[in-house]
Order: sequence, then C-alpha cells, then structure tokens
Amino acid sequence: MILNYFKIALRNLWKDRTFTFLNVIGLSTAFCAAFLLGMFAIFGLSFDKFHKNIGSIYEIYTSSQTAKGTEISNANPIPFAEALREEVPGVKKITRVANGGPLVSFGEKTLKLDILWADPDFFDIFSFPVVGGSKINPLQNKSSIAITRKTAQKIFGEMNAVGQTVTMRRDNEDVPFVVSAVIEDIPEASSFQFDAILNFTDLPASFYATNKDRWDAHNHPVYLQLDAETSAAKFEKATTAFSNLHFADDIATTKRDGAKPNSDGEYRQIHLLPFEDISFTDFNSNSSKVNKTLPYLILGIAFLILFIASVNFINMSIAKGSQRLREIGMRKTLGASKGQLFFQFWGESIFVFSISVLFGGLLALLLLDKFQTLFETKASFALIASPDIVLWLLLSLLLITLIAGGYPALLMSKLDTLLALKGKLQHTGKNNVRDVLMVVQFCIAILLISGTLVLWSQLDFMRTKDLGFNKEQVITLPLNTKKDRAQLLQLLRNALEGKPGIISVTAADNNLGLGKDGRSSTTVMGFDYKGREVRTNLLNVDYDYPKTLDIELVQGRAFDKQYASDSLSIVINEAMAKEFGEKDPLSVRFLLNDSIQYSVIGVVKDYNFQGLNKTIEPISYFMNPSSPKYYAYIKVAPNNLSQSYDRVKEVWNTLEPDTEFLGSFLDENIDRTLKDERKMTTMISAGSILAIILSCIGLFAISLLVVNQKRKEIGIRKVVGASTSTITVLLSKQFLKLVVFAFLIATPLSWYLTTQWLQNYAYHIDLSIWIFLAAGGIAFVIALATISVRTIQAALQNPVDSLKTE
Amino acid sequence: MLLELNHIFKWVSQGGSRVFLLKDINLQVEEGEFISIMGPSGSGKSTLLNVIGMLDGFQEGEYNFLDESVHSMKEKNRSQLYKEYIGFVFQAYHLIDELTVYENIETPLLYKNVKSAERKALVADMLDRFNIVGKKDLFPSQLSGGQQQLVGIARALIAKPKLILADEPTGNLNSKQSEEIMQLFKELNQEGVTIIQATHSELNAAYGSRTIHLLDGGRNNI
Repeated sequence: MILNYFKIALRNLWKDRTFTFLNVIGLSTAFCAAFLLGMFAIFGLSFDKFHKNIGSIYEIYTSSQTAKGTEISNANPIPFAEALREEVPGVKKITRVANGGPLVSFGEKTLKLDILWADPDFFDIFSFPVVGGSKINPLQNKSSIAITRKTAQKIFGEMNAVGQTVTMRRDNEDVPFVVSAVIEDIPEASSFQFDAILNFTDLPASFYATNKDRWDAHNHPVYLQLDAETSAAKFEKATTAFSNLHFADDIATTKRDGAKPNSDGEYRQIHLLPFEDISFTDFNSNSSKVNKTLPYLILGIAFLILFIASVNFINMSIAKGSQRLREIGMRKTLGASKGQLFFQFWGESIFVFSISVLFGGLLALLLLDKFQTLFETKASFALIASPDIVLWLLLSLLLITLIAGGYPALLMSKLDTLLALKGKLQHTGKNNVRDVLMVVQFCIAILLISGTLVLWSQLDFMRTKDLGFNKEQVITLPLNTKKDRAQLLQLLRNALEGKPGIISVTAADNNLGLGKDGRSSTTVMGFDYKGREVRTNLLNVDYDYPKTLDIELVQGRAFDKQYASDSLSIVINEAMAKEFGEKDPLSVRFLLNDSIQYSVIGVVKDYNFQGLNKTIEPISYFMNPSSPKYYAYIKVAPNNLSQSYDRVKEVWNTLEPDTEFLGSFLDENIDRTLKDERKMTTMISAGSILAIILSCIGLFAISLLVVNQKRKEIGIRKVVGASTSTITVLLSKQFLKLVVFAFLIATPLSWYLTTQWLQNYAYHIDLSIWIFLAAGGIAFVIALATISVRTIQAALQNPVDSLKTE
Repeated sequence: MLLELNHIFKWVSQGGSRVFLLKDINLQVEEGEFISIMGPSGSGKSTLLNVIGMLDGFQEGEYNFLDESVHSMKEKNRSQLYKEYIGFVFQAYHLIDELTVYENIETPLLYKNVKSAERKALVADMLDRFNIVGKKDLFPSQLSGGQQQLVGIARALIAKPKLILADEPTGNLNSKQSEEIMQLFKELNQEGVTIIQATHSELNAAYGSRTIHLLDGGRNNI
C-alpha cells in the first residue's frame, strides 16, 4: 500500500514537474533561511545557559535617584562585595570582576591578552572547568594566572603550561605570574570572553590599591550566587539598610539637589539582574531593561518566511487537486476510506517537505560560513544541537507538514464521491481561503520591505549625519605599549610632524566610536557648583584636540602651550555651559576635591561624542599632563587618505615593532558602533527579499493554474473581439487587487512598528509616507511582472488553439 | 435475494418544487440475474445504479442488501459492504492515469488489505484470464478503448464481487469491441456473478435476463 502511494506520488510529482520544482525551490530556500535564522536566534538566546548555577546567579546593579531622574549603574566600589557578603544574609558566593587587555610576555613573545580579574568565588559561581593544574581553585593565590587551553597553546605551544612564569606589564613594571591552571576554552555562547584570569587583588594600583577602602569610586561589576532559600526580591529588600549605611554621603547630596525618592521611599536601591539575561542588557544606556527583541525578531522572520512558503504549498496543492478529482472519485468507489485518501495526499506532502528540508539543510550547511561572516556571529549548528532543540525541530517540522500538507489533503479526502468522479468541484467560496492566504503573504512581504527601507534610511542617516567633528580625516590609534605612554606619544609626534599628509597630532584618554581594539568607556564626574551637583562626562586631552578634530570653538580659546596654568583650565561644550547656567560661561570657576580651583577657558560647539541614540550630554576637557592618554588622534590631509594611513602605520611599526597597529579612521569607528543596526538591517533586508521572491513564486504558480483553467474563457472572449490588453488586465486584476489590499493592511502596522523602533534614537529620520508607498510600489511592480509572464502569453494565444481543447 | 428496493424516492429541490430523479422504485434482484436498465437520457438509469452501488443516497424508501438495511447504515459500514460485494464498470473506464494496468487492477485489493503474495496471484490470474499479461506494465493512455474497458472489468472483478454494476460499459466503444465486452459479461454471469447494466442499446439489453424500463425516474414497465 505504502509502496503504491509512493509510486503514485512520484509519478504525480513528475507529471507536474513545474509545480514540484517551484514548490521544492520555494520550500528549500525557506527552510534554509529558517534554519540559519533560527540557529542565529537560538544561539543568541542560549547565551550563558551552560553555567550549572544559572538560576541562582545574578549581577548587581544599583538604581539611584538624582535630581534628573533615576540612574542605573552596575559599577561598584572595591569594598562593596565583601561588605555585602558580611552584612546582608543570603549571599552564597560573590565575586568582583574587572577586565582589561594588558600585554603579557613569555620569553621573546609578547601578546595582548583579554584578561579577567576576579575573586576566588568566581570558579564556584560560574562553570569554567579546569583541565590542568590546580583543580581546587586557580585564583586562590595572588600572582598566579589561569589561562585557557587556546591561550596556553598560543604562548607555550606543546610545552606544559602549568608552573611556567609569564610577566605582565603593570604600573610601569614587569610583574611575574605563575600559571596555576589551564581551563577549558570559553564556550562561544558565553558573555565572559577571556584568555586568562587573575586574582582581583592583582589589578593595577590605580584601579585596586588606591580605591581599596573608598566607597565613592565605582569601577567594576559584582556577581553573586544566592542561597537556595533566598529569593532575589527578598534579597533586594534586605539591602536597603546596607545602601543607606554605606552610601549615606551620596544620598545626602542627591537629597540636597532635590532628587525625589523612588516608590519605596528610597534614594538608592540595589537590584539583582538574573545572569541569564546579561547578554540582553546594556547598562551603558542607563537602563536595566532586558531586551530580547533581536533574537525574537529574527525567529519571527524565520517563521514568516516558512509561513509564506507553506502558503504557496497549500495554494498550489489545492489548485492542483482539482486536476486529480477523477482519481479521488475512483479510489473512493474502489473502497478507499477518507483516512486512506488523507494519508495518501498527506504522504505526498511529507515527501515534498522531506526533500525540501533535506535540500534546505544542505544549503544552510553550505552557506553557514558566508552567514557567519556576514552577520559576525559564531553561531553554528553544532553549538545549538541539543536533544531538546532537535526534538523541537522535528516536532515543528511535523507540525508544518501536518498543517500545510494536511489541509489540502483533508479538503480532497472530503470530496463527494460522485461529484469527484464527474470532475466537478463545488464552486462556492473555494477561492476565499486562497485569497486570504495570499493577502497575508503580501502583507508580510510589504511589512518587511517597508521595515527594510526604514532601517536603511536610519542607518544611512546615522552614518552620514554631521556629528560635529571631522570623522573622515582623523585616524585614532590605541597606544598599547610596554613603554611609557607619554614618551611614546612624544616619539610618535616627533616622527609624524612635518611629514607630508600629516596635519596634526593629539591624544585623549578615550576613543570616539569603537576602535579596532573594541574598547569603549565612559567617565562621568559630579561636583558641586553653587550649591547643587553638576554632572559631566570627562575627557583628558592633549593640546590641539578641538583643532585636530575640527570641533568648532564658539567662545574663548583651546588649551595652549603658552599658558602654564592650563592644567587647571577646562574646555566645555555648549551642553555643559547650559548645565552651569551662567550668562558668560568663561567666568565659571569651581572647586574640585575641595581645594583645587578650575576655570573654564573655552566652549566648543556641541558634537555627538556618544551614539546617536543619546542626546548630547555635557562634556569637559581636562588637560592634566600626568594623566595617561590611551589614544592618539592624527589628522591627515583629505587627499591620499590610505597613503597617509600607511605612513602612520609605518611610523608605529618602527616605534613599536612588537605590538599590532590598531589605528582606524573615525568614520570606521562610527560604523563599528552601528554593528547591531547593520546586522538587523541585513537580516531584515534578506528576509524581505526572500519574502517577496517566495510570495511571487506562489503568485506565479497560481496565475499559471488560473490561466490554464480560463483558457476557454480567454478563447471565447477573443473570438467575440476582446483585445490582448483587456484580457491581460482582466487576468491580472484579481491578483493585483490582493496586493493592494495587503498594502492597505500592512502599512499602518508597519508605520506603528517602525515608529516604535525609531523612538530608540534621539536622532532619527522622520517617517514619510513615501517610504511606505515605495514598499507597496515595489511589491506591486514585482507582482505585476510575475503574473504578466503568463497572462500576456495567454492573451496572445490564438483562440482557435484554446477552444480546440474542449 | 441479493438486494431489494422498496419505494425509493430521490429528488432535488429546484425553485421550491421537487424534481424527482427516482420516483417510487421497487426492485428485487436475485443472485445470478443479469438485468438491463433501459431508458432515454435523464431517465435516472445512472442514478439508480449509483443508489444500488451505495455511492449515492436517497430521501425515502428502503434498501436491503443481503438482508442488511442499507438506508439505516453508517457511511463506514456501507463502504465496507460495497467494498466487499460490489464492483463498478464505467462508460469512461475511470482508470487511474498514473498507475499501470497491473497496479490499476491491484488497487481494490490494497484497500481490502489483501496480503502481497495473494495479491500477486490474484492479479496474475486476472491478467491471464483477460489475455492482457503482455500489457500489464502499460499505462491506460497507451491502450485502446476496448482494452481499457477490459482492464476496468478486470479491476471490478478482482475483489470477487457478488454484483457488478455497469453504467453504459460500451458507450465509448465501437460495435466490435462492444460485442466482445458484452460476451464477456454473459460469460461472467454464467459463472454466477450478478450483473446490472444501464444501456441505451436494445442489442446490449438483449444479453440480459430481464430488462427494466425507466422514464422520468419511475418504472413504467417490468
């Protein structure tokens, strides 16, 4: 019986090669896309799930009330963790964590490693298995270092790493560290990514020792594991006394400035963020919101694409079914039951789906590499393949075939025997389902196209917006060195100045955008000015900073070597001037650390030193010669940019032959900060292209069938005098109506969704109706082109041929 | 008694009034009979055959088949019954285009869940008997009309039915083929198979043992 079904399925599929081909192509592409997108989304959602204690691990963050509203921060003072453990019950394990990228040497080799500093509890809280050396706890001793397998291979090759000594540059001296353990390589789906891990007390003095007992220097995140019997909410509640005791000064200041307490009447509240949500939270944006939009959006797109392809399959199967009526009728008179017929047709669907899943899977495997590069992801099928996921995958595949294949099968098995034998189909409302499904298809396509257009415009806007500084001509260069930074900077300056194409050189302790070193930081300082607290971003700059970056001075002057007192001067931006609230900002004098008086000497025009999702905040430039400058800024002539870049690289390589040159133009840095937006845009673009192609495959197939069914009608109309164009219009109209209908449904929805998304950006494009009209227009034109292939052909045919078929 | 129809009425409503397709039909058929139903187009021959074959229902009356009352039977049991005892032969042959001659003949056995080995033997017998062994791997489109109808009859017989219902079995055939088919029916009848055929042709009707004349849904002659 099954063999018989299989045979007839094969013969039927072969007989309708065109449709089988269209179906398999459409479904394979859809499955391929769904596999890749689904994998990407699941990978994103599986982050940090490998920790055995995942349910009880939390990151601490604090919400503090200020005069301007609530501020969220995950940075804590050095004594915080230990005090919390001792004073608030419920802490099972707790660890401070800091990260950095110092240079590590072994013999002749010098490497820049991503390093984590943490307390010994780290290895009890998180699951990073030790594979060699001290199994108990690699962080037990000061001056020991635990490295990953990969790093061990990189530094020591085949040598046994445990017991070896490496040196690390710290506080301008080389400090020896003994390798105490080798740990398993960090899983790709981990929020912590590091090459080596050290004891927290081994941090540089400027980070650790000087702040050891200070409660006002917040510089690292803290993670803890709660006791089994303590709930997060209970723990949070229990910390209020702790906050009020240790942060009494902060609370007093903020009260004085007019901050309102939160709903519990507190000014400062410690919260716990479940560790599994860490990868979806961005504390830099002053929010503890868990944002899983991207993975779910992508899962959604995967689902929509599968939906479109399945609709094609359903529509084609139903339409094709009308050509198999006699077979159905005959089988029924020969004694086939409804169930048997259902299984026969469903079996054929499963057959087509299986082939498509197979092709789609193969295609996805082939495209995996390209996909990984395009979306800068490490996601792969091996990483997410767990029994659970595989089971879910099989279940959903079965469900899709059951719905997409089962629905047409059900319709066909229910047909009346006699009517089927006579080849007649009940005509009442038979196209409603098809039309609704096609409208939904085109809704999805139009939604995705307009989404793509909006994302494109916003991305383009952010890339090309005048940020208030020169991003095309300025190279920034992270000063990674084992030497003294100030000295290196001077050498660099000497070597570059006067060279052709180099206009000026300066430095600062922070980068603009995201450099090749992938580091970004924000330093915010608050101080009292005329009895209230003023907050500003901090930047330690070298001479010529505004000049090099073409930041316009609107008042006063920039730092100048002729004025010796400039180390006590600051240059501020317009937002900061507003913050001071003085008529003449140049008259502002204020005290820092209760003793040193600073004065404002200049005001620069506001510029976007942070992402475009934020409004321009106050910023102040300090010019303290002794504070380290981590980044050099080099302005080059507008012509021959790449030649100038090579020149800078050459100079760097002679000065620092051991460390990699990581210079990049500012516009590249800005682009790098838009990585998420770009990723999202690429995904949605790919999704919308697929959606429209698949919808059109479906449309094409249906137009083929409808034209075939109407051959006689077309013939008769031509005989009585209809022209080719009227017939084309007649045939196309019913489909184009659906597209127009879809446009009317999709546009308001799309308008709403894109408006919501644009709210994330302080600077964004204004939505115009043209974007949506364009999306509708694109869908319309493509749909028209698709059906025209067949309709024009049919309209051109000699009516005698079509009438002869009857 | 093979089957018995008592006061069968079948109608459709058209604009509020009833149009009768079958009107007060009474018929008793004994095993081994060969009945011809005659009448002009639209007189209800096919409808009557479909009712007897249980493919179609009726509004009023009683239908007993082998002492079981078909009119009160569930769809599933009815299908079981006709699968077991009735074979159909159609004017347009109604072979399944995608199946070969062999597979077409085999299909009813599949739906009766007959074992593979037994199926093979039965189909081989049938091919042999109808002299179409050489054509077993051809598709219907490769056969002449007469040959197709031969396959149709072979398929109707394969499940060893007690009753064969033939709806104008020779309507699409020329006179020579037609005669061969009718001869075949006669032989089958002599072997004990009950046959009811609908036909236009007096000549074909003459092969039967009894003729029923239908006019506008009612019997006017026995």
